Amino acid sequence: MLISKDKCDKLTDRQMILKALEDVDYFTCMYLRYESQLKRYILKISKVTPQEAEDILQEAYIKIWRNLNAIDPSMKLSSWLYRIIYNQTISNWRKKKGAAIITLDEKVAQTIFEDLENKDSEEINDRAVQKAINGLPAKYKDVIILKYFENMNYEEISDILKIPEGTVAVRLNRAKKAIKKALH
Amino acid sequence: MFKLKLLAMDNPKKIIDIIKNENIRPTPGWVFTAKRLLTWSIFSMTILLGSLAFAVILFTIQESDFSITSHMGHSGVEFFLSLLPIIWLVFVVIFLGMAILSIRNSWKGYKFSLLKQVSISVGMSIALGTLLFILGGGKWIEKVYDVNVSSYESLEERKQNMWSRPDEGYLSGTISSIEDNNMTIVDFNGQQWRITDLESSFIANAVMLENGELIKLIGESEGDNVFSVKEIRPWGGRGNNRGINKNSGVRGPLQ
Repeated sequence: MLISKDKCDKLTDRQMILKALEDVDYFTCMYLRYESQLKRYILKISKVTPQEAEDILQEAYIKIWRNLNAIDPSMKLSSWLYRIIYNQTISNWRKKKGAAIITLDEKVAQTIFEDLENKDSEEINDRAVQKAINGLPAKYKDVIILKYFENMNYEEISDILKIPEGTVAVRLNRAKKAIKKALH
Repeated sequence: MFKLKLLAMDNPKKIIDIIKNENIRPTPGWVFTAKRLLTWSIFSMTILLGSLAFAVILFTIQESDFSITSHMGHSGVEFFLSLLPIIWLVFVVIFLGMAILSIRNSWKGYKFSLLKQVSISVGMSIALGTLLFILGGGKWIEKVYDVNVSSYESLEERKQNMWSRPDEGYLSGTISSIEDNNMTIVDFNGQQWRITDLESSFIANAVMLENGELIKLIGESEGDNVFSVKEIRPWGGRGNNRGINKNSGVRGPLQ
């Protein structure tokens, strides 16, 4: 019997894991809590259809279940889930399907404008930034997606991509420079 | 709305069904703990082995007379370079590489930059290697390696070869007699040599000039097992560089 969403909402991430280890039905909670954001993330990093994203999610959740005891208590559950989803998508799907074309919404575009410290921001439209982001090498684009689209901090990005925080900062900086360059 | 909620529940149900039907169980926690322990054990082991190799390098440097290169011609320098512990340098590099790889594959290894990974491995190997060298580990491991690896030419053997070339000005052996300005030594081939010009030679402080003492000499062979000496150093290491010239009148049993 599946656990209701209301019941799941009362549990913290840690409690959810412990409950799932006792009773597999509680694993539903992990799915319900993170499904939408993980699916959105898959669609941003790989050119897959929504149905294929579902398949990736399903495969990844089986993997998550198998490795439930490997969760690092010092890491956020969401970072760990993103890491597995990222690896699953990259290794099995992105090679075949290629990287997704990102669509920029107004809020994200505004944040990127501010971060670029671009004085001529009024002259730059969302489309130009979008084109610049989509033209970035994959390793820079991955960091931009996590930072601006998934609102992750450096530590979370470091945990997801398994790179030092310093490297996250360097990649982000280079990505911003590349976007700036593309805009002028 | 209710229909949508049901649809949303459809996917987790599929996953739970797969898990139940295929009886998939989470890998036990001890497997992950064991993996982490194994990674750290490999790291510790490679650091220890790298440190031992580094201790041997320190031992080799201690035993070598780098200052004598100034006396040597091209072929002599070449020969001297052959004394360098190349194999141990290779070992240090290999074990350092393995240590860095094990950090990278460790649980939180990705948190360290390559520079930090290298610094940690090199720093630990140098610190532990120096300690092992002080405790005599360098000498011990070199000896163990010499005994167990037949193709390995030990430092002692290479050193003996280096210092058994009287025609090129390098001689070594045990003092068999010493009286006033006359000294005789027996080299590693069992040959007896009369050493001349002791009074004008440089004698390192560590040299006691006693019967039975093993020494190395720099000078010139004058034929018929006579060797005109310019410098006398102790066999082990370079001795004290504050060695004196007998003519300066500072020190020496021959004065």
